[in-house]
Amino acid sequence: MISPLEIAELVLLLAVVLLTAWLYAPFIVKVFKRTPSRVDKLLNPIENSIYKLLGIQVDRSMGWKEYFFSALLVNIAQMAIAFVILTEQGLLPLNPMHFHGMSWDLALNTVVSFATNTNLQHYAGEMTLSYFSQMTAIQFLQFTSAATGLCCGVAMVRGFILQSKGLGNFYVDFVRAITRIFIPICFVAAIILVALGVPQTLSGYITVQTVEGATQQVLVGPVASLVSIMQVGTNGGGYYGANSAYPLQNPSPITDLVQIFLMLLIPTALCFIFGDYIGKKKESLPIIVGAYALFAIDLGIAFIPNPVTVGPGLETRFGGFMSTFWTVVTTAVTTGSVNASLSGIHPLAILAAFMGMLIQSTPGGKGVGLMYLLMYIIITIFIVGLMSGRTPEYLGIKIVARDVKLVMVAFLIHPLIIIIPTVIAYASGAAAAIGMGPNSLGFTQILYEYTSSAANNGSDFLGTLGNTPFFNVSTAIVIFLGRYGPIMCLLALSGSMLGRKRATATESSLKTSSWTFSLVLVASILVLVVLTFFPFLALGPILAYFQGHLNFFSLGLWV
Amino acid sequence: MSETIAVSTSNTEQRTTKTSEERGKTPGLFRLISGKVLVDSVVRLNPVSLLSNPVMFIVEVTFFIVLAMAVDPVAFAHVASLSLRAFYIEVAAILLITVWFATLSDSLAEKQARTTANSLRKIETEVMTKKLVIEGGETKVVPTPSEKLRKGDVISLEKNDVVPIDCDVTAGIAMVDESLLTGESTPVRKAPGDQLIGGSKIISDSLTARVNVNPEETYINQMIRLVESSKRPKTPNEQAVTIVLIGLTAIFTIIIIGMLGLSITLGLAADLSVLIALYVCLLPTTIGALLPAIGLSGISRLYERRIVAKSGKSIETAGDTDTILLDKTGTITVGNRQAIEFLPFDGHTEREIGEAAFLSSWHDDTPEGRSIIRLAYERGYIPKELNALALSEVYEFSASTRTSGVKLQKGQGFMLPKTGEKGTKGRFRRKFADVSLPDIEPETEGAGTEDEQESEIIKGAPDSIRALVKSVPAKYDSVLQGISQAGDTPIGIERNGELLGLIRLKDVLKPEIKDKVQDVKAMGIRPVMITGDQPLTARNIAKEVGIEEFVPQAKPEDKYGIVRKEQAQTRVVAMIGDGTNDAPALALADVGLAMDSGTQAAKEAANMVDMESNPAKIIDVVMLGKQLLMTRGAVTAFSIANDVAKYFAIVPVLFATTLPQLESLNILHLGLHTAVLSALIFNAIIIPLLIPLAMRGVAFKPANTMTLFLRNTLIYGVGGIVAPFVGIKLIDLLLTLVFHL
Repeated sequence: MISPLEIAELVLLLAVVLLTAWLYAPFIVKVFKRTPSRVDKLLNPIENSIYKLLGIQVDRSMGWKEYFFSALLVNIAQMAIAFVILTEQGLLPLNPMHFHGMSWDLALNTVVSFATNTNLQHYAGEMTLSYFSQMTAIQFLQFTSAATGLCCGVAMVRGFILQSKGLGNFYVDFVRAITRIFIPICFVAAIILVALGVPQTLSGYITVQTVEGATQQVLVGPVASLVSIMQVGTNGGGYYGANSAYPLQNPSPITDLVQIFLMLLIPTALCFIFGDYIGKKKESLPIIVGAYALFAIDLGIAFIPNPVTVGPGLETRFGGFMSTFWTVVTTAVTTGSVNASLSGIHPLAILAAFMGMLIQSTPGGKGVGLMYLLMYIIITIFIVGLMSGRTPEYLGIKIVARDVKLVMVAFLIHPLIIIIPTVIAYASGAAAAIGMGPNSLGFTQILYEYTSSAANNGSDFLGTLGNTPFFNVSTAIVIFLGRYGPIMCLLALSGSMLGRKRATATESSLKTSSWTFSLVLVASILVLVVLTFFPFLALGPILAYFQGHLNFFSLGLWV
Repeated sequence: MSETIAVSTSNTEQRTTKTSEERGKTPGLFRLISGKVLVDSVVRLNPVSLLSNPVMFIVEVTFFIVLAMAVDPVAFAHVASLSLRAFYIEVAAILLITVWFATLSDSLAEKQARTTANSLRKIETEVMTKKLVIEGGETKVVPTPSEKLRKGDVISLEKNDVVPIDCDVTAGIAMVDESLLTGESTPVRKAPGDQLIGGSKIISDSLTARVNVNPEETYINQMIRLVESSKRPKTPNEQAVTIVLIGLTAIFTIIIIGMLGLSITLGLAADLSVLIALYVCLLPTTIGALLPAIGLSGISRLYERRIVAKSGKSIETAGDTDTILLDKTGTITVGNRQAIEFLPFDGHTEREIGEAAFLSSWHDDTPEGRSIIRLAYERGYIPKELNALALSEVYEFSASTRTSGVKLQKGQGFMLPKTGEKGTKGRFRRKFADVSLPDIEPETEGAGTEDEQESEIIKGAPDSIRALVKSVPAKYDSVLQGISQAGDTPIGIERNGELLGLIRLKDVLKPEIKDKVQDVKAMGIRPVMITGDQPLTARNIAKEVGIEEFVPQAKPEDKYGIVRKEQAQTRVVAMIGDGTNDAPALALADVGLAMDSGTQAAKEAANMVDMESNPAKIIDVVMLGKQLLMTRGAVTAFSIANDVAKYFAIVPVLFATTLPQLESLNILHLGLHTAVLSALIFNAIIIPLLIPLAMRGVAFKPANTMTLFLRNTLIYGVGGIVAPFVGIKLIDLLLTLVFHL
């Protein structure tokens, strides 16, 4: 077990996150409701000129199809631009280290991964990417992908608002999300990180003499700004291949805690916006309880074993507690940044990480976590709510066969895009080719690769090992489907809520804003989502645990 | 205001209460099992007919796969072994039995529906009418079932007859009770040219009438056919549940194919039959098997209560009811009134009225008449002239005079002994066998005296009485008004032209209605009472029964507006109706229950019809709707929750030979060879174990939605997680200890 002090640290941090998120949530609502605010004076002219430049009709609300395809097309266009930057970075400026362009499959994987907020990295940034690539292709996509997710989440919420005419205007949402939420927070966060010792410079790598007299390159760059958006936007794609385990990206336990805070901030705030946005504040309860109860269960599982303080793959700056905590958080909000090598993490902590990625809403990624929670609420109401003796309805809207169909399709995507490629990876020999043997440790890593891709998380065991055409392309496909498939289904669901008859709650309705319902929600998510993958988890982290492994370094046969 | 005897609907009333008591639970399910049912269930194993039930279809497909493995294990090179042949046969047998349990539940539910539906058909043909046929200048009465009547037929209607169908009066004058149709408890006078509404009742005199519509092909036959057809359309909720089941099936299919793929590529040597066992156990077979039976049984339970639903959907909608409109007459009150007080006028005593009322009501068999005698008896006002009644001249109630009474002959005084079976009490016991009388010793004594006069006692509508008496006191009108305002009905009574006073009649609540209203309120449903009465009367009744909202002075046409107003506030409305005037409201309401005694228009507009014409049953309908949904939800949740234990039973042995470490997951300590069979057997046996639950519905006490939700979630959700752990372990013990497997 972990020490009381560590528990106190953990609880205190989560309390600060919840409090800040709760205070920040109304601001997010204002941004998307376009309520007049003090920052209008400064930002309106900038935003208006963007709208004018792009010919956006600010007040035109979109149906779900238009909203979704706008988001998709914008994302694909961004992928295309980033793809060109990455493959042609050798010709582009700000490349003091003279890196070559990326291979097509790695570039494809990288752009899809970054445009979808996944940030699976089959490359080590400091050895592969120029400053220009880091700042444009990478950092640019980190902003846009986070904004896309956030917008889709908000758009889904709008479908539940009474008398809502549309899901909103994607372009307006998108611009405002960046100008009013991400840029301000990231600016502040970057300054704090710089103050705490994270580098922010374009001066090129520094070569220094060590105490022993050897020379060493210090790989500095515009790190702080990238780290802030990578965490705030739950992207997770770090400046360095070692991500936040790298001393310059995450110098101290303080920066570690700050980064955990940044990861959790917006996803948690989004749990609070739902009730506020639809005008029924209490309806946030099942969302926040659902997200944090499942998060707590993840943490509980991760901390069953006594985390080793020093072990292979762990940073001595953080030790077992901080590394395990980070691992759970980064998967709970689908960030995917790491502060230790996953191979050094205990199998049960990895199991907790799997749970976070399979559930995707503990509290989940930007916007998408909220979407998943709403989906879980609907399916729970449908299956369990019948037992209250009424046909299922949420917020007074009857849940009809079509809604259930969309939810089931969204549900189905995950098993499909995790399990099939995992089997293919073994059957085709692609796994064996990179040393992932047929054993619990290797299997865990392959399964993790696709789970992380499907959940748009991005953390992985493979890292540069995954830089093979098979893994680059297969994960790119999984990432793409895992991102846009569920978003499309859920926006379609929300879009169909528009203009549908809704009842005002009466005494005889099922109260979704109750603790009873919230707890039932937690149980049904565990049964419906996590248990589905039980046989696979049993072959991976669970088997590894029973085999007595403490980490994923020893590769052997199935023993 | 000045009303006479309201009408008896007591015949139907009594029948209803009796059947409700007899009804109890569905007659033993085992009694439904017959050779025919068994054969039918086996015929349904035909894969083609199983296509409508995707989960069971897939289970049957897996049966054929395992069967093939048993026949030729060698053909399944990497996933089967010759040594496990016996095991394959066992697995295949259990799989087939699982499917058979599902088809058996279907057959049983259909048998149950058909049985109850047929009993309804009998009731329907029981209604006979007196058709008048002119043959050779002579008019003959031909008994004819109501559904055989055609437009233009002439029928004779006498006292206590129910008007079978809408018709026009051709001859005669009669008082007709339309209270069940219009909600107005005042009888209506009908003369030639007037319209008679089907379902109203003749309460005095007789008339002939010409049928003015053709009866439809009986709707009940149409509905019964709907139930008997195995292609009963799925309700929207059933469709949605089916989609969830298909979705879950698809997910588990991916899981199992994935496991199979992994097992082969990684050399984990999982046996295909064990994978299939895991697959079938994970599939929502319980709900998949019972879903059709649950829906059909919901309809059957309505049939048992003599209610015919036009679609399964309307039953589900009933469960969603937010507002329930209750007609006062017939639903809340019994539809007739009872005497509660004698009000003497100046110069007369209560005893005088009591005795006169007693005498004048002796021949009056309406509930009101009986209640007057009962009141007099309770107060000890037993007239000395009791014996004279035998020789008295009786004035029957007539619609034209709106009075009834009795004329006693001179010198026929009271001569009976006061005790003994032949005495006063004995006569009461015989005449009022159905009324429980308090044990009072009447204060009458001795024989009648010589100075007795011939005397005439008349009671009736205060207006009519006013015309018969020499004078009325000045306060007559104000007293009448006072009584009316309190919600009661006054009846005047006079003896030999002398006004004695008034009898106060009060609306009587139906037995159990208070509890039913409480139940409705406990479930968060708003009851709204609708009545033609004055606001004051309405308030008194509403208060008495515990209803906060009521609409007084409402005409049947007003119901439409009330329904619309409720629906504008997005509430789901349930109501009853039987008159043509109710038809638009019945059609508009989300749940409309028409009385079988009502008009064709009402029955067509409604989505359910009560064959017993008991409006209070609207509450039962709502409860049955809730029960149906709860049952479906309970079995679904139970079925899905079961998976937890099944993972722990099968996953440890899935790779038993290659990955023995997974044995740590075997928290139930099941035997290596019996774990799979135990889980499969549990998975199969739970279906017949839950058939009674599916067919009777989950039991519940009326409570608010969240309480029901929590309670059912604990029983069927949490219970669904725990039960298979216990069940599988027990089966495993049985297999290892008893059968030494």
